[in-house]
Amino acid sequence: MANKTLKKDQVVSLLNKVAATYQLIAPVADDSVVMFKPLSSAEGVVFDYVNSVLPPKDYFFPQTEQMFKFSTRNNQIVINPPDPVKERVLFGIRPCDVQSIIAMDKVFDREYKDTYYLDKRAKTTIIAVSCTEPLPTCFCTSVGGSPTSAPGADLLLTDVGDVYLVEVLSEKGEAFVQKFSEFFGNENGEGAKKAEVEKAVAAKFVRTTSLEGVKAKLDNMFEHPYWERLARKCLGCACCTYVCPTCHCFDICDFNSNGFEGERFRCWDSCMFADYTRMAGGHNPRPTKKERVRNRFLHKLKYSWDRYGLGHCVGCGRCSRECPVNLDIYTVISDVKEVDANV
Amino acid sequence: MRGLSEQLRNTAKELLREKKVDFVIGYAPGSVNVKTTPYFAFTPEEAENLVWNPLCANILVTYLLDYRYDDVKVAVAVKGCDARAINRLIHDRQLKRDKVVVIGLPCRGILDADKIAAKIDPRATITDFEYAGDNIVVKTDKGDVSLNRKEYLLNKCLVCEDHNPIVADIVIGEPVQGIAAEDNFAEVKQLEALSPAERDAYWEKQFNRCIRCYACRNICPACNCKECCFDQAEPQWLGKANNSAENHVFHLTRAMHVAGRCIDCGECDRICPMDIPLRKLNKKILKDMKELFGIDTPGKKTEDDNPIGSYRLDDPDEFNY
Repeated sequence: MANKTLKKDQVVSLLNKVAATYQLIAPVADDSVVMFKPLSSAEGVVFDYVNSVLPPKDYFFPQTEQMFKFSTRNNQIVINPPDPVKERVLFGIRPCDVQSIIAMDKVFDREYKDTYYLDKRAKTTIIAVSCTEPLPTCFCTSVGGSPTSAPGADLLLTDVGDVYLVEVLSEKGEAFVQKFSEFFGNENGEGAKKAEVEKAVAAKFVRTTSLEGVKAKLDNMFEHPYWERLARKCLGCACCTYVCPTCHCFDICDFNSNGFEGERFRCWDSCMFADYTRMAGGHNPRPTKKERVRNRFLHKLKYSWDRYGLGHCVGCGRCSRECPVNLDIYTVISDVKEVDANV
Repeated sequence: MRGLSEQLRNTAKELLREKKVDFVIGYAPGSVNVKTTPYFAFTPEEAENLVWNPLCANILVTYLLDYRYDDVKVAVAVKGCDARAINRLIHDRQLKRDKVVVIGLPCRGILDADKIAAKIDPRATITDFEYAGDNIVVKTDKGDVSLNRKEYLLNKCLVCEDHNPIVADIVIGEPVQGIAAEDNFAEVKQLEALSPAERDAYWEKQFNRCIRCYACRNICPACNCKECCFDQAEPQWLGKANNSAENHVFHLTRAMHVAGRCIDCGECDRICPMDIPLRKLNKKILKDMKELFGIDTPGKKTEDDNPIGSYRLDDPDEFNY
């Protein structure tokens, strides 16, 4: 479908109309923290943010998610699945986060189909917005991404002045544009303006490296002393993994209300926690911070390539910004390129 | 301040060269120019990377807990606030005084990295810091930036009670004076003035944001239990689900658990990714301790001190019942 345009002063009206039929999920400020929330109208949606503190993964893979309710009364096991989610529109996510969803698809849509994730994925229309002001910690271009393109999104909006250039990237996006056609105009030279925006934003990146050679180097660095050195300052909290848009580990627990009825839920877990790999008998194959820190970085920069053929670091910079001790994956990438793998 | 960094490096190098310590925990430049990062120097060459400047925010004393059962002697850099943690850990029998060399860093306040990031070119290299009246001048290779200290220091530094470490074996530089301290409990008083329902709504909103990453607990020098109750699977004191009830249990239990041991370093508050004002919880307890029992901020005393676990005949709180 051809590109469209959307007047900036029309966005709020569009989102209000969206909220009337879909569940609208958009960025809002909760005190100083920008995060995605389900909204009943466009009131409070922030448009001038660079990126949210938490990624939008909560809307595909919630931090706490009911899997089913159960009852075991009268010698009978009854299992009730949770209520299905509504059709949703996720507005305002950044290209790095679109890439993170592609990365998570590879995990949840394999031989085993994770219906909880896939149901939400199928029912969500993703409207991404290009970045114009990257943060000093952003490095999507270093890991193969782009602040102004978002393959995998349904629509991509780029601010080109008074209007957004709207790139229609999927059938879902096309259906959306048709359903709300009164808001969309035809492209008239905005594509050329986008090229200027692209050039301008590319020049603003402070962080520029590449992943060239990193994976190959990591293939032989499992026992490298680098990990022990790196891990010393790690606090072993889950900050990096919980703000990461691609971290997807979870634990499964039961909440049993009276011995007969309850619910089973899954919730985020973190490989940085000491008890993450602790076995029932007490053995822990990742006994110290060294093994845990190593696992996180190998998972992001090596195992993901081995398993899925893509990286699980999308360069959003969240862990770089939020880590309490400035243990920065960007530094790790640079370090890995420099260290002598044969030590 | 470059001279002070140099002095710190020389001190660290000497300690390592003469094998007085196994390693030195200090700060090195961070991955962005407005931050530093904790750094472990094992050799005089590594000590060359150490810095001391108003970006050295992290409390490093907590790391001593990682080595509390090891046969090592560690030197650690401490600011005024951090020094209280040294005393507290000794009082808690988590640290032996002769196993640590305390390098004291007299401190005029730490700059808030989030606030100054907007003022300093991310491509610039910071070369030095200078004090000029109420301002601090950040010198960079792309020009100098003068910042009003009241505006750009961490909030905790505006109410600092110990600019100079109360415990130190070696002091880097001369004792300093900070800017005049504001009312230490102003924010607590604001919360106290609210009705219980308003206060409940306030904390409900804050705790609802919590992602339970436990960064607050893990950076905390008062959180020195061998196994945290929140990590225990059996019995499970805290449900793994993230919801308002469990989040309340986590934060309120933690606040009460560190009562009398929280040395008010404010690190939980500073590093919370969700900007939950955790220090206000601890401050309320510190205020009550002060007003009801005449107990000073924990860690202020070098002699044995256990604010909550002590019994005093001259306790100012009357037994009226």
